[in-house]
Amino acid sequence: MTGARRFAVWCWMGALLAGLAVPAAVAQPIPLHPRDLVFEELSFDPPDPAAHRHELSNGAVVFLVPDRALPLVSVSVIVRTGAYLEPAGKAGLAALTGSQMRAGGAGALGPAEFDDEAAFLAAELSSRIGDTSGRAGLNCLTKDLDASLDLLFDMLRRPRFDQDRLDLAKSQVLQQMERRNDSTQSIEVREWGRLLRGSGHFTTTPSTRASIDAITRDDLLAFHREYYHPGNFIFAVSGDVEPADFLARLEARLADWPAREPVSTPVPAPDHEIRPGVYVVDKDDVNQGRVVIGHLGAMRDNPDRYALMVMNDILGGGGFAARLLTRIRSDEGLAYSAYSSYGFGTYFPGAFRVSFQSRSETVARAAAIVLEEIERIRSEPVTEAELRTSKASFVETFSRNFSSAASTAGLFANDEYTGRDPAYLVAYRDRISSVSGDDVLRVAREYLDPERLVMLVVGDRSTIEAGDPDNPDVTLAELAAGEVAGIPLPDPFTMEYPSSP
Amino acid sequence: MRQISSWVLPVVLALAGSAGAQQVDVIEHRLDNGLTLLLVPRPGDPNVAAGWVAKVGSVYERPGITGVAHLFEHMMFKGTQTIGTRDIEQDLQIIEQLDALRAEIQAAEVELDRRYQLGEIDDPADPAVRSPRHQELLDEFETLLARQSDLLIKEDFSRIYTAEGGSGMNAGTSYDFTIYFINVPANKLELWFWMESDRLANPVFREFYAERSVVHEERRLRTDSTPIGKFREQFEAMFWQSSPYGWPVIGWPSDLEGITRDEALGFFDTYYAPNNLAAALVGDFDPDAAIELAERYFGRLDRGARPPLQPRTREMPQLAEKRMVAYADTNPQVVVRYHSVRDGHVDEPALVVLGQLLSGRTGRLYRSLVEEQEVATSASGGQAGFQFEGMFELRGTARQGRTPEEVEQAIYAELEKLKTEPVGERELQKVKNQNAADTFRGLRSNFGLMMQLLIREGNRGWEHINTDPALYDAVTAADVMRVANTYFTPETRAVAVYYRDESTETEEDPLLAGLSDDERQQVRQVRAMLGQMPEEQLNQFLAQAEQMVGQVPPENRDMAEALVALVRQRIEELGGER
Repeated sequence: MTGARRFAVWCWMGALLAGLAVPAAVAQPIPLHPRDLVFEELSFDPPDPAAHRHELSNGAVVFLVPDRALPLVSVSVIVRTGAYLEPAGKAGLAALTGSQMRAGGAGALGPAEFDDEAAFLAAELSSRIGDTSGRAGLNCLTKDLDASLDLLFDMLRRPRFDQDRLDLAKSQVLQQMERRNDSTQSIEVREWGRLLRGSGHFTTTPSTRASIDAITRDDLLAFHREYYHPGNFIFAVSGDVEPADFLARLEARLADWPAREPVSTPVPAPDHEIRPGVYVVDKDDVNQGRVVIGHLGAMRDNPDRYALMVMNDILGGGGFAARLLTRIRSDEGLAYSAYSSYGFGTYFPGAFRVSFQSRSETVARAAAIVLEEIERIRSEPVTEAELRTSKASFVETFSRNFSSAASTAGLFANDEYTGRDPAYLVAYRDRISSVSGDDVLRVAREYLDPERLVMLVVGDRSTIEAGDPDNPDVTLAELAAGEVAGIPLPDPFTMEYPSSP
Repeated sequence: MRQISSWVLPVVLALAGSAGAQQVDVIEHRLDNGLTLLLVPRPGDPNVAAGWVAKVGSVYERPGITGVAHLFEHMMFKGTQTIGTRDIEQDLQIIEQLDALRAEIQAAEVELDRRYQLGEIDDPADPAVRSPRHQELLDEFETLLARQSDLLIKEDFSRIYTAEGGSGMNAGTSYDFTIYFINVPANKLELWFWMESDRLANPVFREFYAERSVVHEERRLRTDSTPIGKFREQFEAMFWQSSPYGWPVIGWPSDLEGITRDEALGFFDTYYAPNNLAAALVGDFDPDAAIELAERYFGRLDRGARPPLQPRTREMPQLAEKRMVAYADTNPQVVVRYHSVRDGHVDEPALVVLGQLLSGRTGRLYRSLVEEQEVATSASGGQAGFQFEGMFELRGTARQGRTPEEVEQAIYAELEKLKTEPVGERELQKVKNQNAADTFRGLRSNFGLMMQLLIREGNRGWEHINTDPALYDAVTAADVMRVANTYFTPETRAVAVYYRDESTETEEDPLLAGLSDDERQQVRQVRAMLGQMPEEQLNQFLAQAEQMVGQVPPENRDMAEALVALVRQRIEELGGER
C-alpha cells in the first residue's frame, strides 16, 4: 500500500515538474540522420605507467592506482611460473599447486579455518597457475585490509597443502577429465591446439589419470618453493589506498622474505609441421556443427600488427558490421555467431582463426562463404567506409582499457610481466590512424594463405557431409579437394587415440 | 523527480553489523509519455554505460508465439525508416510482398508437416516432396530478397555505433524483461539518444525471415547441441504446470517456424510503448544535459493506446512430487527444485540468506556433501525469484562411485537440519558481512550498475537496490528456520536425476549385457528408483522380485534377473555405507 501511495505522490510531482519543463523544450530540432550530429572533441590521455610504478626494497615491482570512491582494496600478484615448468609425467601439477595454495590452509590456519576466516571478512582470495603465469588475488574492505593482507601473504608464503583437500581436488580433476568429450566446444579447443601445435607442446599435453595419480603433496611443496618468492612477484594494487601507506604495509610483509633470481627458463615454442586440410571429429548426437578455419598468426611485436588488426576487424573481428557476420548471419541466416581473430603471441605465434556454428546441413555452405571472404579481402581493397569505421572504432574505444583502476593497474602489471615496452600505449591511436587501405590489402595477401588453411569440424559427420539439399553443389568433400580426415575421440583418462576412427 | 546528491562515498564507512550503509544516488526523471529515466553521473572514465529495459519477456507470450519476445529483440537491430536502407519506399513495398509470399509458403509447409505427421513423407525439408507451386513460391521469394538486398545497408545500425566508438552493443531477453545496452564515449551521448529513440519511434522489421533462421541457430547452439540443454528444457516444462515460465525464452521450434511479422508488430505496439520502458545512464555526463536530450528524443514517442497486458495464468499448487531421470553426456548429478516465492515477497530475503548459508566454499552443502561425506564433488543451492513466480533450486554432482540419489538424500538431510536447528550467530553474520561487501562490489563498474538498475526496474523498481540490503541484514535464525519449514515440502518439489549416457556401459556393466535397448532403459529406471528406497523397502522389493523371476516368460528372464541383481547390489551398497 505504501508503494501505491508513493507512486501517486510521485506522479503528481512528475506532472508538476514536466509542466515546468515545457518552456525550456523549445530546443533544437532532431537531425534527420545521425551523420548530421555534431560532437564535442573528447581528449583522453592514457595514464602513464611510470607514474604508478614502484619498486620495493627487495626489487619486487608494484603498480598502484588509487581510486577512493568505494571502501574496497584490490591486490593482484602475477607470479613467474606456469604449467610449462612442470616436470615430465606430472601434467596437472601447476594447476593443482595454484588451486591448493588457496584451498589447503595456510600459516597457522587449517583449510577449514582459513576458509572461514576469509569468508567472515568477506575477503575474496584466489590463487591459480596457468600455462605461463601464476596469479594470486585479494579483494577486501578497507577496514579489514590488514587482516586480509595477512591471509594473502600466508597463502603466498606458507601454504599447508592439506592432504585431504588435495585428495578431494584430485578426485574433482578426474571427474572433470571424464567430461572431456562431452561438449563439442571442449573437443574443438583440444583438437585445434593439436592440429596447430602438435601433440608434444606443453599446451597440448593434457593431464591424464596417470599424471594426476603421480602427483604428491611433496610435489606441490617443491613446485611452490621453487617459484613463490618476491623475486618472481609483480603486484597490481588498486582501490581505496594511499600509496605510501600501502607500500609500507607491503614492505613490512616482505621484509624477511628473501627474493631470489626471477625465473629465466624460456617458454618453449611448438615444434610441429602443420598439415593443411579438412578434419572432422564425429559427434552424432548434436544437430549443429562447430567449425574452425585458420592457420598460424603472428608475434606480438610484428611491425604489421596494426594493419593486421584493422584487416581482421573488417573481415570478421568487428562484430555485427564485419563481413563474415554480415554474410553468414544476416544475409544467409546460417549461424548465430561467426567471427575471426588474428592472434599475436607473446612467446610463440598466435593463430588466425575463423569460427562459427551452423546447422549440420549448412556447415559446408557457411564454410564456403568463409573461404570466399578470405579470398576477397586478399584480392580487392576494402572500402573507404569499412576502413574508416574500423579505425574509428579502435581509436574511440581505446580509453576502455583504463575503465577502472583495477584494469589500469592490471594492464601495466601484465606488460611488465611480459616485458612489453609501454611506449605502445602512447603511440597506439596514431598507429591505428595511419593504417591505409593499401596496408590492409598488403597484409591480407602476406598473412592470410588459403593454401595453408586447416579446417576442423566437430559434429554429426554423415549429416554434415550430406550437405544442404537446397544447395547440393556445396559439399565438405569439395572444399577439402581431397580426403576429409577423421579424428577419433581419445580415451578421456589416458588421452590415447584409437588408431583409426 | 530528481534527487541530486554526490555519488562519491565518504572514505570511512562504519560497516560492522549493518549492511544498509551503501546508497546509490539516482536521479530519476519521468517523461510525460511515461518513460522513466535513471541517471547516475560518475566522472572519471570518459564513457557512459547506457541501456533501457522493456518490461516484457517470454512470460508475456502465449502458446503459438513462444519466442516472440526474443525474436523481437533481434529485430530491433534491423534498422528504421532512416537506418539500414537506401530507399525506404521500395523497401517497404518489398517487405509487404515478402509477407504475402511467406504466408503462402507457410500454408504449403503446414501441409507438408501434416503429411509428415501422418507418415506419408519421410522428410518435409526434402525439396523432392514440394509441390511445383511451393517451389515456385520459394524461387519468387529468393528473387525478391535479392532485389531487396540492393536496397539494404546491412547492419547499418551497428555500423553507425561502431564508427563512433560504441562498444559492447547487445541485448538480452529473459522471462520477465528485455534489456538493450551499449557503452558510448562521453561525447557521443546524443548519438545514443538519436539511435535508441529512432528505433523505438520508426522501426522497420526487415529481414524478418532470415533472422528467424538465426534464432533457430541460436536455439541449436544453446539448447540442442549442449550436453544437457535439451534435458534442462524438459525439466522446466515439467516443473511449471500452468505458468508461462514453463516454456523456454527462446521459444519452441514449431513457433519459431511459424511466427509472422504481423505478430511481432502487434507485440511491439503493446509492450514497447514508452510507458512500459525505463532507460539508465551511468558514467561521465551532465545530468541536466541528459534530461534535456531525453525530453527531446524520447519525448517524441507516443504513450501506448492501452496499458500493457500482464500475464494472467498463475502456477497451480503442486500436489505431488515430480521426477525426471535422464541419460546425458554429463557426470551423474541431481537437481532438486521447490516452488517458493516471487521476487519481492516478504519471505524472499530469508530464502536468499538460506541459499547463501548452503552455498560457496564454506557453505553447508560443500562442507557436508563434498568434504565430510565425500558423496559429491560440488553442491550448491539458492532462491530465484521471478516477477510472478519463484523457486528454490539445489544441485549436486555425484562423486565417482556414488549415485545422484545419494547426493539427493544428503541434500534432504541438510534441509532437515535447517528445519529443526537454528543456524549459528557467526554463520549468519558471515553471510551478512558478505552481502555488505557485495553491495560495494556491485558498484565497481558503470556497466554493472546500469544493468542492476535496469534489471530491478524490470522487476519491482530500481529503488530496491537501496532498500533490499537492510531487509537481508534483518534476517534472523528464526526466519531461516521458518522458511525452511514452509517451502521445503516433498510434494512441492521436482527432481532431475542425470546419469552418464555411455555406449561403453554395455562392456562395463555385465548386468546390461544381452538386453535390448528398451530393457536397458527399464533397468536404468529401476536403478534410479532403487536409489530412493530405504533399506527395509528394498528387502521387501527383493523378496517380490525374486519370486517374480520364476514366473516371467523365458524371453524376459534375462531382464528379470538383471533387476534382482540390481536390488541385491543396492542393498550391499547400503550395508557398505554403514
